[in-house]
Amino acid sequence: MGKVKIFFKSDCPLCGSAIKLKDSLAKEKVQVEFYNIETAEGLAEATFYRVLSVPTVIVEDKMENEIIDWRGKVPSVSEVLNAVKSL
Amino acid sequence: METTDINLFVRTSEETISDWNRGKIVEALLKETLIDESTADEISREVETIIKKSGIKFITAPLIREIVNAKLIEKGLETARKMHTRLGMPIYDVGNLILHPNKENANVPHGPEATNLTLAERIKKEYALLAVFSQEVSDAHMNGDIHIHDLGFIDRPYCSGQSVEYIKKFGLNFPHTLSMAKPAKHPEVLLAHLIKFSAALQSNFAGAIGWDAVNIFFAPYIVGMSDKEVKQLAQMLVFEFSQQAVARGGQAIFSDINLYWEVPKHFEHTPAIGPGGEYTGKTYGEYEKEAQRFAWMLFEVYKEGDGAGRPFFFPKPIVHITEKFFKTEGHLDFLYHICDVASDKGNTYFVFDRGDTAKISECCRLSFKLEERDLEDAKKPWRMRYCALQNVSINLPRIAYLAKGDDAKLFNLLTERFILAVKAHKEKRNFLEKLLSLGEDGPLALLTMKKDGLPYLRFNIASHLIGMVGLNEMVQVHLGEELHESKRALKFGLKVIAHMKLLAEKMSKQEGMRILLEQTPAESTSYRFARLDLRDFSPFSGRIVKGNIADGKVYYTNSTHLNVSIRLNPIERVTSEGIFHPLIEAGSISHVWLGESHPSKEAIADFVVKTFRYTTNDQIAFSPEFTTCNTCLKTSRGLKTRCEYCGSEDVDGITRITGYFTKISSWNKGKLGELADRFRNENFFSYSKEVANS
Repeated sequence: MGKVKIFFKSDCPLCGSAIKLKDSLAKEKVQVEFYNIETAEGLAEATFYRVLSVPTVIVEDKMENEIIDWRGKVPSVSEVLNAVKSL
Repeated sequence: METTDINLFVRTSEETISDWNRGKIVEALLKETLIDESTADEISREVETIIKKSGIKFITAPLIREIVNAKLIEKGLETARKMHTRLGMPIYDVGNLILHPNKENANVPHGPEATNLTLAERIKKEYALLAVFSQEVSDAHMNGDIHIHDLGFIDRPYCSGQSVEYIKKFGLNFPHTLSMAKPAKHPEVLLAHLIKFSAALQSNFAGAIGWDAVNIFFAPYIVGMSDKEVKQLAQMLVFEFSQQAVARGGQAIFSDINLYWEVPKHFEHTPAIGPGGEYTGKTYGEYEKEAQRFAWMLFEVYKEGDGAGRPFFFPKPIVHITEKFFKTEGHLDFLYHICDVASDKGNTYFVFDRGDTAKISECCRLSFKLEERDLEDAKKPWRMRYCALQNVSINLPRIAYLAKGDDAKLFNLLTERFILAVKAHKEKRNFLEKLLSLGEDGPLALLTMKKDGLPYLRFNIASHLIGMVGLNEMVQVHLGEELHESKRALKFGLKVIAHMKLLAEKMSKQEGMRILLEQTPAESTSYRFARLDLRDFSPFSGRIVKGNIADGKVYYTNSTHLNVSIRLNPIERVTSEGIFHPLIEAGSISHVWLGESHPSKEAIADFVVKTFRYTTNDQIAFSPEFTTCNTCLKTSRGLKTRCEYCGSEDVDGITRITGYFTKISSWNKGKLGELADRFRNENFFSYSKEVANS
């Protein structure tokens, strides 16, 4: 199973949906890492993945290879689950 | 004041010999310090006694001052001692300076004019540390926690980027100038104005002088000129800039010319100014062909090199690669042309303006992204004048030595150093503000002229740069791995720079001044920090600093670069180093060291396009190495100890030091250590060409 990385910012209008996505994925026992790009940790990770807009959702495999991403938007829970479970 | 009967003559600083007069000591103490008259009188009597006892017949004014200073220390009057101190140099050092070249800045030649510059710099540096900066900031600089660049130019801003439009519109008319010139009517005159104005700016700024979109703004003057005439103009421009070694301190002007193949979007609809400073009735978008001809010819000149076939050191041609570049007719031919120069002479800098980003570049790697307000100014390009007031670098490896593996401590120390660097900026800013407030009667009169209603130096939008030295070694000390050794190390390095970026944003808001991160060129700073840390953090630092400790050729890796010695293919290097670039707003670069190899223009072009498309790297340059013979004046590829044409051993090596080409004989020890370590990508490009062909 893959891992999900969600990038957000406190004052972005779409980021509320990203928080909901995180909660839903957690209920499905999906490993989720949540990064606030206003922190050094979050900004560093976002820079590494070339995240230019928030929210961004990235699914990666065990070797940390990026499999699929949604940049500047939030996918549905099922879209993410399909991607994660395909790994 | 009474005089005494002491039989003594004083050699004064006014080049006279006077009788001894104790009252002069009292006068100086009252004028220069805050001590009271009776203390001053007491000190003067004690000094007189010392001198009397010595039996000396001649004494110099500086020696008297030193004896007075010793008395002030004895009495615990430290503040008064500082105010009364004398700036200068020991005779031994002055002798050495006159005899031997300055290795701190490879762009300073050796000669009487350069010696003047260095002597003045030494005194101004001392003045800056004593009178401009607070004790806390000065001490941090002195002990190597931070490095304040160009202290010897304390009374000038750091660097400047501007538009040829200013000269086209207003001509040459400086405050207190002996003669003024109206806007140029002919291309050769415009060129002469450009060079003279650059020299004037060099006298008012510490570092680089950058010119934006030079080929675009020259275009209206080129209409109707034959190719031969355009080539001649290009030749004049490059030679005039590169031979300005008669300017400040015998130093060539550290100059950059920004060039475009396309007319950038923000200048497309800008009304063009032509001969005589008059609008031509056309927009710059309509001058694309002339602009392209000029850019093409400039690179023909770079390709030929100077009279001995050597690469020109200045002006540095910076080509902006944009999305529009790839949509503009003839771009592929031009790309091959500039890549040919990159491979052959190494001059071309490729700056990547992705998406809607527009930039103006100056200095070794400094560039400014144009914001909304700047794009509005683009309608009146003479208003586009940018500058950085100062550059302060932080010694990153030292923070890691002190943190001893503790993350929290490391980031806290980094924050402390950053705050200190900002304090240094505020202090320099206040000092410059004082100088600028004197207007046309002040030392920075040129920067206060208001031809367009605004002061030439747009102080309110000036930047304050904070650089970093040795991220690679910081991570190595903290995690035990260098940046290239693991994803964990690379990500930790990113976290450090992200922390600095967030601090820059926060403190910019807090202090109401523009604070930006820049990859400091750190030509001598990376050497200085390494030496100081070897002294203070041995034996551990001995395993960390790069270079050769035995012969003192030590250094830290520049800025956020990866270790220069590792055998990394250039694609990996440019990609990994490029990951840091979006965080470093005021400019970054990756170097591809070519050594003796001479890749095809197609291989270089392929590399450039891939770097633009698939990485976040901001800027790249390719650096070949040359040997030039002082006997037969021929130049060959690679660094050799003797000329391959005539066998002479009187040769100079030439390659890129940080952000410019220069002779290796002028390099400091740290840079020589780095040169020995550089991994040259000698097989990569020939291999990729074979792969491409097959």
